[in-house]
Amino acid sequence: MSALVKRRGAAVQKRAASEKRTEYLAFLLAGDTYAVRISAVGEILRPPPITEVPRAPSPIIGVVSVRGRLVTVMDLRRRFALNEAPIDGKSRVLLVDIGGDEQVGLLVDEVLSVYRLAESEIEPASVLGGEQPAYLAGVGRPREQKELVLVLLDLRAAIAS
Amino acid sequence: MARRVLVVEDSASTRAFVRAVLEGETFAQRLGGAEVTEAKSGFEAMRMLPRGPYDLIITDINMGDINGLELIAFVRKNEHHKSTPLVIISTQSTERDVERGMALGANKFVAKPFAAEQLVEACAEVLEAHHG
Amino acid sequence: MAEQGGGKGESDRAREEFLSEAQELIDGLGRDVLALDELSKVGRSDPELINDVFRAVHTLKGLSGLFGASMMSGLSHELEEVLDDLRLGRIELSQRVLDVVFRAVELYGMLLGVERGNGMDLSSDIEALLVSLGEVSHRGRAGGASPVAQYELDPGLLGVLTEYEEHRLRTNIQNGMSLYKLRVAFPLATIDSALDELKANARPHGEIITYLPTGGGSDADAIELEILIASKESVDTLRSALSGHQLAIEEVPRRPASPGARTSLPPMARLSVPAAPSFGPEAGTQLVADVARVPIASLAPPPDRDLTLRSVTQTVRVDIRKLDHLMNVVGELAIVRTELMAVVDRLRNRAEMRPLMQELLRLHRSFERHLEQMQGGILEVRMVPLGQVFEKLARVVRQLSREHDKQVNLVITGAETELDKLIVEELSDPLMHMIRNALDHGIESRDERLRAGKPPVGTIALNAFQKGNQVLLEVEDDGRGMDPKQIADVALRRGILTPDEARDLSVRDALSLIFRPGFTTREEATDLSGRGVGMDVVKTNIGKLGGVVEVSSDLGIGTKVTITLPITLAIISVLFVEVAGRTYAMPLTSVEEAIVYDQTATRTFEGREVMTVRGATLPICSLSRLFGHTTSSPPPHGFVVVTSVGNRRVGFIVDSLIGQQDIVIKALGRTLRGTRGFAGATELGDQRVALVLDASALVEEAFAEKERAA
Repeated sequence: MSALVKRRGAAVQKRAASEKRTEYLAFLLAGDTYAVRISAVGEILRPPPITEVPRAPSPIIGVVSVRGRLVTVMDLRRRFALNEAPIDGKSRVLLVDIGGDEQVGLLVDEVLSVYRLAESEIEPASVLGGEQPAYLAGVGRPREQKELVLVLLDLRAAIAS
Repeated sequence: MARRVLVVEDSASTRAFVRAVLEGETFAQRLGGAEVTEAKSGFEAMRMLPRGPYDLIITDINMGDINGLELIAFVRKNEHHKSTPLVIISTQSTERDVERGMALGANKFVAKPFAAEQLVEACAEVLEAHHG
Repeated sequence: MAEQGGGKGESDRAREEFLSEAQELIDGLGRDVLALDELSKVGRSDPELINDVFRAVHTLKGLSGLFGASMMSGLSHELEEVLDDLRLGRIELSQRVLDVVFRAVELYGMLLGVERGNGMDLSSDIEALLVSLGEVSHRGRAGGASPVAQYELDPGLLGVLTEYEEHRLRTNIQNGMSLYKLRVAFPLATIDSALDELKANARPHGEIITYLPTGGGSDADAIELEILIASKESVDTLRSALSGHQLAIEEVPRRPASPGARTSLPPMARLSVPAAPSFGPEAGTQLVADVARVPIASLAPPPDRDLTLRSVTQTVRVDIRKLDHLMNVVGELAIVRTELMAVVDRLRNRAEMRPLMQELLRLHRSFERHLEQMQGGILEVRMVPLGQVFEKLARVVRQLSREHDKQVNLVITGAETELDKLIVEELSDPLMHMIRNALDHGIESRDERLRAGKPPVGTIALNAFQKGNQVLLEVEDDGRGMDPKQIADVALRRGILTPDEARDLSVRDALSLIFRPGFTTREEATDLSGRGVGMDVVKTNIGKLGGVVEVSSDLGIGTKVTITLPITLAIISVLFVEVAGRTYAMPLTSVEEAIVYDQTATRTFEGREVMTVRGATLPICSLSRLFGHTTSSPPPHGFVVVTSVGNRRVGFIVDSLIGQQDIVIKALGRTLRGTRGFAGATELGDQRVALVLDASALVEEAFAEKERAA
C-alpha cells in the first residue's frame, strides 16, 4: 500500500510541473457534448450502409464495410440510454481501436471540433454529482469557452457492454 | 496513470530498445505510459522485486545464473506478484523453454526480433486481461 | 525495421548501444573460437566455451533482428543452428566446423562495418558461408532413454531447467558424474560477488548445472539458493573445497533400481511418427525429445531435414493480415469484373459497337480466368499443415501423462494435411480439450488396463485426412469408452433430460448428450489455460468454423471423436436469399435444396410447424420471425431452403432466392462473437454487407423453437 501512496504523490508533483495538453474530439449526442481522446479515434466516416445484425446486443446497430474490413457499429445514444434520432446528414461514425487489430464504429449525431485540454481544465466525473457510470472519465472545461461542458468518455468502458 | 514495469534482460541494447518502446508514444496512448525499472540479471530482478509491486514484468529466458524460468517460478511465489501480468521476450530456438515459461505462469510471449507494435500489443493484451 | 518509440534521441542511443554491444560480442566470439581451436589441436573440448559461443551468436541474432541488420540476423540464424548442434552433442567439433565458424566470425566483423556505413557488398560471401553451414549441420537425432530419471530429483527443480541445462545434466550423468545439491543463502546486496567466489571455488571440481531460488531464507534481504552441481569428487572433497561459504551439501541419491519402478519423473509419452517427409526422423523413432526439437514453421510446412539449405530459404513467413488484404483486393477486382460485364451487356444492343464489344468480352473472360487463379493462389498460401497443432498436442500429451501417471502412446497420421490458417489456429483449443478428455477419462491406469486384458500402454491416435472438400480430424483412444447409461444419468441429474426422454434414448443420442450445454460443470472442465471448457463449447467453436463434431464409442474398447471441417474458411459457396427486405447468405454445403413454399402443405405437428415434401415431413421455420423482423406468420408465398446439419433437417422460409455465388467470408468482430446464428459476413459491392448464416446453430435453434412455434 505504501507504494501506491508514493506513486500518487509523484503523479501530483508531475501535474503541477507541466502543462501537458491532451487533444479531445468533441461530438454531439442527443444535444449534449461529449468528447474522447483523439488518439483513440482512427477515422471519422459518413455513415456507410449499415447492415443490421438480428439479436445483437442493443447498443449494436449493425456492421459496415470499411475498405473491405468489417466493422461493428454501436449507437452511443442507445448505450447511454439517450433519446434516439434518425441518421441524418450530420451523423458520423467514429472508428476506434479496441485492440487485437479490431475497430468499432461509434455513431454520433455530429462531430464538433478538437479541444486541447490541459490537466487543469479536466475535472473528475464526481463533479457531476453522486455516482457516475464507469464510462464517464471526467469533465472538460476549456478555458477559451467558459460555458462549454465536455463530458469526457472512457472508451473502453463505453464499449464494454 | 503510468504502469510500473520491470524489465529483466541481460543484453544491454535489448533493454534499451524495450525501454524506448515502453516510454514511447504508442505505449503512452494505449496504456498511459510506463515507469521502467531495469534488471540485468535474474538476481537483480529479485533485488528489485521488493521495490514493487509492479504492474507488468517483461523477462528473457536464457540468462546466466538464474534463468528466466527460475525467475518466473520465483515471481509467482512472491506474495505481491502472484498474478502480475508477465511477458516473456525470447527467440524461437527455445520453443520448449517458452512453453515451460507459460506453464510456470507467464501470460504471453513475444518472439525476438519483434517490432515495437508487437510488444505494445502483447503488453496491452495481458494488462487488459488482468483488469478485465 | 523496428519502430523506435520515444523520440529520435533515444533511438539513436539504442542503435549506438547495439553497435557497441555487437562489436563486443564479435570480439569475444573471435577470442573464444581461437581458444576452441587451440583445445581441439590437443584433442580436447570445453562445453562451457561452446555454450558461450552459442549464446553470443544467439544474442547477436536477437539484436540484429531488433535493429534491422537483416544479413547479420540471417547469418546468425544459420550459425546458431550449427552451434546448437555442437553444444547439444549432435555434431563433433571437427576442423571443418571450426573453419566454418572462423569464417562466420570474420564475416560478422565485415557486416558490422556495413552497418556502420562502409557500403561493402557481402552477399556472395554470405551465400557461400550459408552453404557451408548447411553442410556441416546435423540432420538426425540423438537417442537414448533419459538417465535423469535415475536420480531422485525434485520435479520442481526439473521443471525450471532450460533445454540446455537439461542437456548438460544428462551429459554429466552419462559421463558418470555424481550429482550434488548445495543449499546456500546470500544477502541480496552482495550476491553477485559472493556467487562469483563460489563459482570460482567450485569450478575445478565440477560443473554447476543450475541455480534455483528456493523462496526460503531467514530474512527478506537474503536469498536462499539450491545449486545443482555435477562432479566426480566425493561429497567430502566438495565440502572442504567450498568450506569458505556457509552451505549445506548433500548428494542426490540414485533411485533404487527395480524393473518398472515408479520414479518421480513418470514414464514419458512416446511419440511415434510416420515416415512422412514433413517430420524427417524415420518412422519408429520414439522419444518426445525429438518432437520438441522439430522446428515449428508458422506458415510453411516443417522443412524436410533432407532438403538442401536452398529449399529451406525458399519459404517465406507471411503475416496473415497481408493475405487478408490481398483477398480484399481480389474481392474488389471481382466487383470490377461484374461491372465490366454490365458494360459489355450495354454494348450488345448497339450493332455498330459489336466488334468492340466482342473484344471487351474476350478481355473480360481472360480477366476472370486470371482472377480465379489469383484467388486460388492466395487461398493456397493461407493453407498450413496441421502438423503445427499436432506438435503442440504431442507436448501436451507428454505433460499430461506425467501428471496422471499413465503411459500413453500418441500416434499421429496426416500431419501434412492442410487447412486454412485461421481454422488451424482455432483448432488447437478444441483438440487439446479432446486429448485431455481422452487422457483424463478415457485411458485407464496401467493396472486397470492389465486387468482388462489390454496392453499396459494406452494409445491415443490423432488422424487427419482430406475427403472431398472437407477435412476430417479424429481423436481416437483405446481406453474405457463411454457408458451411455452413465451419461444419461448425469444428464438426468443435471436436468438436461427428463425421465421420459431418458427412457427412449438411443445409444447414439446418449453419447451426443455430452455436447449439451450444462453437461460438464465449470469446476470439472478446465483446459490447460484454466478456462472452463465443455464439449458444448468445442461444438460451438467447431460450428463457427463451419464444421461438425461427432462421437462414437464402445464401452471397454475405446472412443472416437470426429471433427469434420470445410477446407477453407475464406471462400465458400453460398445461396443468397431475401428475408424481410434484407439479404442473407446460406452456405451451400448445408443446403440440400430450395423449394417453393406451399402453405397448403403445412400443418402443426407435435408443436412444430412442418411441411410435407414428397411424402416426408420437414420441420420449417421462418427466418423472418426467428430474426425478429416480423412477428406475424409468414406470407403465403416464398421459398423454403432445406438445410441439413448432421442428421437434422430444417426448412427455412425466405421471401425470395437471389442466387448462388462464391464469396469471401469475413469474421464478425469480437463484440459480435456471442450473437447466435451468424458465421460471418461478406461484401456485396458498393459497400453493402450481407450476413452469412451459421447453418448448424440455426438448425439447432429451429429445433429448440418447437415449443415456441405453437
